[in-house]
Amino acid sequence: MVGLINAIPVANKDEYKNVGVYIEHRGDDIKRSSIEMIGIGKQLARKINEKLICVVIGDKVDGIAKEVGEYGCDIVLAAESPDLAEYRTMPYAQIIGDYIAEYKPNIFLLAATRNGRDLASRIAVKERTGITADCTVLDVDENRTLLANRPTYGESTLAEILCRNHRPQMATARPGTFTPAEKEKDHKYEIVKKKVNVDKSLLGKQILKFIPKKATDLTAAKIVVAGGLGLGGPDGFKLLQELADLIGGAVGSSRPPVDLGWITRDHQVGQTGQAVRPDLYVAVGISGKPQHIAGMKFSKVIVSINKDPNAEINKISDYIITEDYRKAVPALIDAIKNFGKQKVAEAQKA
Amino acid sequence: MLNIVVMIKQVPDSSEVEIDPVKMTLNRTKARNVVNAADLNALEYALRIKDKVGANITVISMGPPMADAAIIECMARGADRGILITDRAFAGADTYPTGLTLAATIAKLGNVDIVFGGDETTDSSTGHVGPGVAEFLGIDQITYAKEVDYEDGYVIATRDLEDGDEIVKVHTPVLVTVLLNSNVPRHQSLRKKIDAIRKGVESWGINELGLKPEWVGLRGSPTIVRSMKAIKEPEHLHKTITLDKIDEVVADLVSKNIIKVGGK
Ligand SMILES: Cc1cc2nc3c(=O)[nH]c(=O)nc-3n(C[C@H](O)[C@H](O)[C@H](O)COP(=O)(O)OP(=O)(O)OC[C@H]3O[C@@H](n4cnc5c(N)ncnc54)[C@H](O)[C@@H]3O)c2cc1C
Ligand SMILES: Nc1ncnc2c1ncn2[C@@H]1O[C@H](COP(=O)(O)O)[C@@H](O)[C@H]1O
Repeated sequence: MVGLINAIPVANKDEYKNVGVYIEHRGDDIKRSSIEMIGIGKQLARKINEKLICVVIGDKVDGIAKEVGEYGCDIVLAAESPDLAEYRTMPYAQIIGDYIAEYKPNIFLLAATRNGRDLASRIAVKERTGITADCTVLDVDENRTLLANRPTYGESTLAEILCRNHRPQMATARPGTFTPAEKEKDHKYEIVKKKVNVDKSLLGKQILKFIPKKATDLTAAKIVVAGGLGLGGPDGFKLLQELADLIGGAVGSSRPPVDLGWITRDHQVGQTGQAVRPDLYVAVGISGKPQHIAGMKFSKVIVSINKDPNAEINKISDYIITEDYRKAVPALIDAIKNFGKQKVAEAQKA
Repeated sequence: MLNIVVMIKQVPDSSEVEIDPVKMTLNRTKARNVVNAADLNALEYALRIKDKVGANITVISMGPPMADAAIIECMARGADRGILITDRAFAGADTYPTGLTLAATIAKLGNVDIVFGGDETTDSSTGHVGPGVAEFLGIDQITYAKEVDYEDGYVIATRDLEDGDEIVKVHTPVLVTVLLNSNVPRHQSLRKKIDAIRKGVESWGINELGLKPEWVGLRGSPTIVRSMKAIKEPEHLHKTITLDKIDEVVADLVSKNIIKVGGK
């Protein structure tokens, strides 16, 4: 606990060096979002010739620590205890706080997942420093100041936020934004492992049950086929699934179908759903209200299928198909299938 | 009896907010002000606990004087007491001083068993204030709760995570942030509204909280916004396609290497 106390600027900023990243995992699997954080963390550290330091916490973490090193991290701090098998805010925040006090990173990053956010501002307050949430652009300047950029105002504006006098400079980053790190052959790294005795007073939270769900991670999809209220019912999504399967995409939704129970919430795109930036976004029966657009307007190519020629989504679309989707989607499916056949036939002829 | 605090924020109705295309700022003047939607879900769980075992519910909000309307609305739904934390010195706060100010308010109230908040606000959407408050107070937290129950000194809640539901049990005192849309908030009652207006909203400033002016608001914020710029959006073709020409779309997508057809 930090107590009711102010944030304090640090006296000597030069004492703070290197880029820290918190690694989130479930069991032996590192979260994709954390591999993205290694990617951006590595980029920042190398730009200013500093080290990337990653924190791994859990019960048995040797495998994960090694993998993190292979991704290009320089120093892996691994904290191990049977009491740390499951993520719990209090002991995890304590351990990260202790590491920050010892290693004094200049920058400390976490993925803005739910557990990442659960932890992030708690650590910032503990360290009496500032934090910027949900960044989509991160950079560092020659003074080693973190330039943390986050979208605001319904994704129309990018705010650049600085933490000038407090250390570490903290930020969370939106999953799906940064390119995941790739493994580097022969990268030299060091693992600093610590067996910790967790203070029992921090273990008050009982985790009674974890019920895994197969959630659709739309942020990883290169193609999203999304349906809206215009589908008229849950069956419309079957047709969209057929199209998505054909072109290797995932199915998304605007909010009303989710609220009506036609599809589960993990498919929702928008301000209160997931923010996606796929290569292709097919919007079917979606009008294009600002809260929806906020979650998909950075898609490279947008196809709109809508009965209304004046649907707002058409303003940001590449291909506008003004038709009942019950005709248009099957036509698109056929065109793709036939296009394939045609190509194969041409290839065979040649 | 249980003491529950619900943290609420007044925000512009996001379905009405317009963005000034030239200045790239929120045109808040047009939008109605409402209680941040997730905070109403938080209040609803507090009220359900009150219905079940009895509780004293205090709604607190840091904001300008006009935010008292949001607090009255919460009292009209069943909260017992409302406190507006308002002072010029609080303006421009980032999440650190916001958390500090709210935590100081809760500490001054004393003996609080459960602190509720929303998972995030629609206007700043950081989700950072709740956990920050918990750290200032030194209490455990349950974030992204979509079901919340109270039994014999424990809060039992289901956390909604990306890869599953986590059911946790924590002894009070504890801070809980509630997922947007996780319940249906009850309506305001006219009788309660009249009572609320009669009772009024208390107003606390920096002196009541014993905080220093340089600790709060803009001065107490470790982060600053250096610049705002319009986000460059991808250019689009705006081609209208009739069904007999739908092959063209497919051909374009294939040539751009966006979809692959045949041989897969
Ligand atoms: C705080 C807040 C947060 C929100 N967050 C989100 C969010 O995250 N994501 C989100 O999507 N929304 C969100 N919304 C809701 C948003 O404001 C809109 O209500 C919603 O996006 C509209 O969904 P829609 O386009 O599917 O429905 P509608 O606006 O009703 O549009 C339906 C479209 O279908 C077309 N159509 C009808 N029949 C057919 C047919 N047979 N064939 C082809 N087209 C047809 C119509 O022409 C129309 O354009 C939020 C709202 C609020 C207040
Ligand atoms: N000014 C405020 N006054 C009261 N509660 C707040 C305030 N700002 C944030 N909160 C609470 O913290 C939650 C998360 O807000 P945020 O971190 O801004 O996304 C909100 O849903 C509220 O419960």
